[in-house]
Amino acid sequence: MSRLRRVRAEATAATRSFLRRRTAVFFTFFFPVILVVIFGALVRTRPGGGGLFAAPAAYYVPGYLATVVLFTPLSRIGSEIARHRDDSRFEKLATTPLTRGEWLAAHTLVNLGVISVASLLILGLVVGLTGATLPVAPALALLVPFVALAVVLFCGFGAILGRVADSQDGVIAASNTIALPLLFLSDTFLTPSLLPEWFANAALVSPLTYFARGVRTVTFSPTGTDLPAPPLGTTGNLAVLAALAAVFFAVGAVAVPRTE
Amino acid sequence: MTREPVVVAEDLRRSYGDTVALDGVSLTVEAGEVFGLVGPNGAGKTTLVRALTGTTSVEGRVRVFGDPPAEGDRSRVGLLPQEFAPAGRLTVRELLAYYAGLYDEARPVDAVLDDVGLADTADTWYEELSGGQRRRACVGAALVNDPDLLFLDEPTTGIDPAGRRAVWGLVESLSADGTAVVLTSHSMTEIERLSDRVGLLRDGGLVAVGPPGGLVADHAGPARLVVEPADGTEPSATGGDGAQGDDGTTALADALREAGFTVTVGDGEVAVEAVAPTEIGAAVDGLDAAGVDYDALTWTEPGLEDAYLRLTGEAFEGLRQPGASVVDDPTDADPGGHGGTGGGNTGEGGGDETTEVEA
Repeated sequence: MSRLRRVRAEATAATRSFLRRRTAVFFTFFFPVILVVIFGALVRTRPGGGGLFAAPAAYYVPGYLATVVLFTPLSRIGSEIARHRDDSRFEKLATTPLTRGEWLAAHTLVNLGVISVASLLILGLVVGLTGATLPVAPALALLVPFVALAVVLFCGFGAILGRVADSQDGVIAASNTIALPLLFLSDTFLTPSLLPEWFANAALVSPLTYFARGVRTVTFSPTGTDLPAPPLGTTGNLAVLAALAAVFFAVGAVAVPRTE
Repeated sequence: MTREPVVVAEDLRRSYGDTVALDGVSLTVEAGEVFGLVGPNGAGKTTLVRALTGTTSVEGRVRVFGDPPAEGDRSRVGLLPQEFAPAGRLTVRELLAYYAGLYDEARPVDAVLDDVGLADTADTWYEELSGGQRRRACVGAALVNDPDLLFLDEPTTGIDPAGRRAVWGLVESLSADGTAVVLTSHSMTEIERLSDRVGLLRDGGLVAVGPPGGLVADHAGPARLVVEPADGTEPSATGGDGAQGDDGTTALADALREAGFTVTVGDGEVAVEAVAPTEIGAAVDGLDAAGVDYDALTWTEPGLEDAYLRLTGEAFEGLRQPGASVVDDPTDADPGGHGGTGGGNTGEGGGDETTEVEA
């Protein structure tokens, strides 16, 4: 109960702080919205016509979800750590019973809440604006663990970034530099046929690849297209994502500063 | 049976590159004791606090309640870091509730709000508080767990006099209830009032430790009586023989000398060292008897600040005291300093613009 009490206290304070920064809230949700509007509604999907958005609209659902699953935790956790460090908050917390793992868990929960709402918004926009059709099946519920595990993973990654970067500006620059290539080179928006063959193995290095492929297994059926079924399937991708999430969270928890 | 002190630090050392932050610091703090830490900026106070709270790594040995600080019972420790800024968009009540929520047992938030005098602004966002109110909220955050050991790093910075006294009252109350307090401050009034013992840091080393009264007696120098000549005479350097006394100081010096005092003259003032309060009347009588006019007569009892200035080598060079206005080595400081026989009024090594006249 003590642990839960501490995590709840930290998460409650973090949620209030976030929700009261209206600019941060606005842009957290505006970013994926503008992406869907630009790519999904303006550029438009042209199935069979070649080009960037040649696959059916539902193929890109993992990519749109990846924008919030990837960018939000990286930048929010990273900059939160930088802010805490600048304001001596970790120095204060180091003398309380709150552990680094509990701190990261609390902030991961906050991100999970924010990203869950943003993900629902994205799904609604993708269906509404791009005409994507999602299979209504029990398997669709697997989106929840996929999103949750990816959030845990990238919150851990964000903690590592926050530890390494020496300022909030540094965190933002680093998270953008890392997230942008990951977003486009992890089987998200680009079909494998658009990339060199050798890159197929390079994409396996990206944790986001397993999120994208796993989500695609429950949101898109390649039947009737020349697109391959995602390797590893739903369970395999979920398992890899879970393992990576555990590793990144553990390393991220250790990376949360305790000292000056 | 003797109890181990709440805090034990032995031979602490820490450097940042070529800068030595802690250089062999050893100290103990007992339950219920307020241990004041003073020293110039960069002397190592905050590094020492961090070492004692386990938030920085140091060479040497630190024990808090018998354990290394990072491994002990954190629910018994409270900390107010020097440059602490909590989340700005939480109300004071939410802020205190947040920190209270990190402990299994915590004081009621309303009680803490009352203690720090913020009950009326409890529902105001932290970022909308004044500087002093913010600091009081931070003090409250350090008190929510009713700690047995409290570290306060410059707790009253920016707080108005009333708020400062409220914080002082809190510290006194906590100490009376058995809480050990490590207090750093640049306010000598605060340190002198609250501390049972004071540790004076300079260049990473503790150059003196003791009760404030003891430090004052040993290092602050004698009481001084300063007499300012009447207006109408320009302050000027006077010769050692007092022959050029047209700024009024020579007449004052002569009168006081006639009354049996040892005086120093400089910067348009005349000072008498080691004057007891009961001797002030004799000085006034001497001046009156000589018919010498003066604008002000000020008697100053040395305090902790004087001891601090001497021990840290930061003595203010106003009315320069020959031979003792700057103490380069604390071991050279003369703890006596009475009647022109020591402590800086012997006339040895004095500045060119001063003179001493033996009565």
